[in-house]
Amino acid sequence: MVNHLFRTFRAFRAFRAFRAFRVFRAFRVFRAFRAFRVFRLLLFLLTLWSLRPPRVLVVVGPPQEVHTTNPLVGIHTRLTDEVEEWKIQRTLQMVREMGAPWIVEFFPWAYIEPRPGQFDWGHSDMVIRHARAQGLTVIARMGFVPEWARPKDTTFNYMDPEFYDEFAAFVAAFLARYRGQVNHVIIWNEPNLSLEWGYRPVDPVAYTEMLRAVYPAAHAANPDAVVLAGALAPTLEPPGSAVGLNDLDYLKGMYAAGAAPYFDALAVHAYGTNFPPEADPAPDVVNFRRTELLRAIMEVHGDGHKPVYITEGGWNDHPRWARAVRPAQRVAYTVGAYEWARQHWPWCRAVAFWAFRYPAPLHNFQDYSTFVTDDFRPKPVYLAVQEYTGNDQ
Amino acid sequence: MNNRPHLTPCILPSCLLALLLLVSCSPADRLDRILETGILRVGMDASYPPFESIDGEGNLVGLDVDLGRELARRLGVEARFVANLSYDGLYDALTADQVDVVISALYVDPMRMADFAYSRSYFNAGQVLVVRADTTDIAEMADLAGRTLAVEWGSEGDVVARTWARRLAGLTVLPCQTSEEALARVTSGEADAALVDHLSALAGIGQGLPLQMVGDPVTDALYAVALRRQDSALLRAINNALTAMEEDGTLPRLRQRWLGGP
Repeated sequence: MVNHLFRTFRAFRAFRAFRAFRVFRAFRVFRAFRAFRVFRLLLFLLTLWSLRPPRVLVVVGPPQEVHTTNPLVGIHTRLTDEVEEWKIQRTLQMVREMGAPWIVEFFPWAYIEPRPGQFDWGHSDMVIRHARAQGLTVIARMGFVPEWARPKDTTFNYMDPEFYDEFAAFVAAFLARYRGQVNHVIIWNEPNLSLEWGYRPVDPVAYTEMLRAVYPAAHAANPDAVVLAGALAPTLEPPGSAVGLNDLDYLKGMYAAGAAPYFDALAVHAYGTNFPPEADPAPDVVNFRRTELLRAIMEVHGDGHKPVYITEGGWNDHPRWARAVRPAQRVAYTVGAYEWARQHWPWCRAVAFWAFRYPAPLHNFQDYSTFVTDDFRPKPVYLAVQEYTGNDQ
Repeated sequence: MNNRPHLTPCILPSCLLALLLLVSCSPADRLDRILETGILRVGMDASYPPFESIDGEGNLVGLDVDLGRELARRLGVEARFVANLSYDGLYDALTADQVDVVISALYVDPMRMADFAYSRSYFNAGQVLVVRADTTDIAEMADLAGRTLAVEWGSEGDVVARTWARRLAGLTVLPCQTSEEALARVTSGEADAALVDHLSALAGIGQGLPLQMVGDPVTDALYAVALRRQDSALLRAINNALTAMEEDGTLPRLRQRWLGGP
């Protein structure tokens, strides 16, 4: 009986060992098979990697100079959403070749400081490096509130006063980083429009408080800083409108709130709409020389010594927009406006029109404001300005 | 041996079928609602004649208006126009469910295709080559070597012509103040051809100028009906109607009536 049990036990052990061997062998086969599959996958990925297009080599190159017959000529670039470095370089190179010493570019706070105190300067470094290499002077537009600095479900143009100091710290960090490279900063964009003020009623007093917070921080970071205020939208909206407030009344409101000591220059948006550049200004008309009405308000409030920078403006030739002109008119008016500013506005430092190029076609009226196509073909307006500045050779 | 049935081959087609059914029966597709209510809501910005505008008697008129009515008729419903939209607000009106479709000389915009769908195009507003009616030796841009091409200064035609001038020997670009002037230069013999937008070319020919369009459009600017991307049944119905209208001559007649041309 014992022997029988012993034999049974041995047989069971042998069976278990045999089963274990079979499992082990199956596992080895499986492992080998899996290894082969992994190897094939790696080989496939390696082949794909080796077939990738080569990266575009971008060399900054030696410093360039802008040659121009009119040092006021400028343009608003749109490099914020341009990711490819060679396109950034090509854009700025074409700006120089057009004879424009000035660019206005947007540096969104939310992109650079996505979390409090954590900065990502990669894109702005690239833009400023190439702009400097092309001999361009950068006017930096500041705005675009990160999520951490505004309540949930608000737009990126919404900022409560308790975050003005954080915004001021960002502007100061920007100016400190680019000290000696970028001095001009525009504080906010078109605060006289509700949509640019977080869809709230516009408020020149609150905007003045923002300037009051930013101005000392900016100058502490860079004593050469030029703080540009305003950048007001040219609009005829009356007081109480849900859309906004006309720029003339808004600027008066800023002065009434005590804004004068908190900006060094006024940024102006000078859109010509249907009118030629020399058309007379009037409070109830939006045209290029509306700038002179804003200038008059500055002088009345003792700010005649401060310069003006046109940081947006120009004409649009969309075939169906009521405020647009014919393409030929756009060309002539654009060149005429640069010349008008040079001849008649000694207080104007730059005229930067909207906009040089978009990274991709927008398929709406905005495409008809650009100077070059998204694939860098110069439009006739570009060639006309190039000829005007003596760069057509 | 594992005798369990292999579920994967069964599950996958079942899931796909369920998904297909879900999509095809999506409550978001509004064709059923349109048929139920008998109303097709058409959005437009009535400020762009001859496509859509308000005439002197306050009537909504234009190619897009007639197109909207005809599409509605072929769907067996009535068109109701929401014509006071701003051009910038056309897509918002679709998103906000104020309209079922937008017919407003709207370009096909690939950037918006994540949210919106476009029908087949009913008009190409791109740049076209125009020559005198008796010209037989110019059929495309490549035939313009050594010739003079009139364009509207600053227009897209001007940009394209300058690009061609860099690669075509002896092509002279003649900038004009307007597209009408460019066409006049062709009729007077000062230019061999003009590169103008399709609308201007049709208008000129429609006014009796001795001109003809040759070749395919040099650039494309496709006008189409826009609707919400999820309204796939409505899109199919509109495409079918547009195809039928093209084939039975309705669409060519509408284009001829409103845009002129041959």
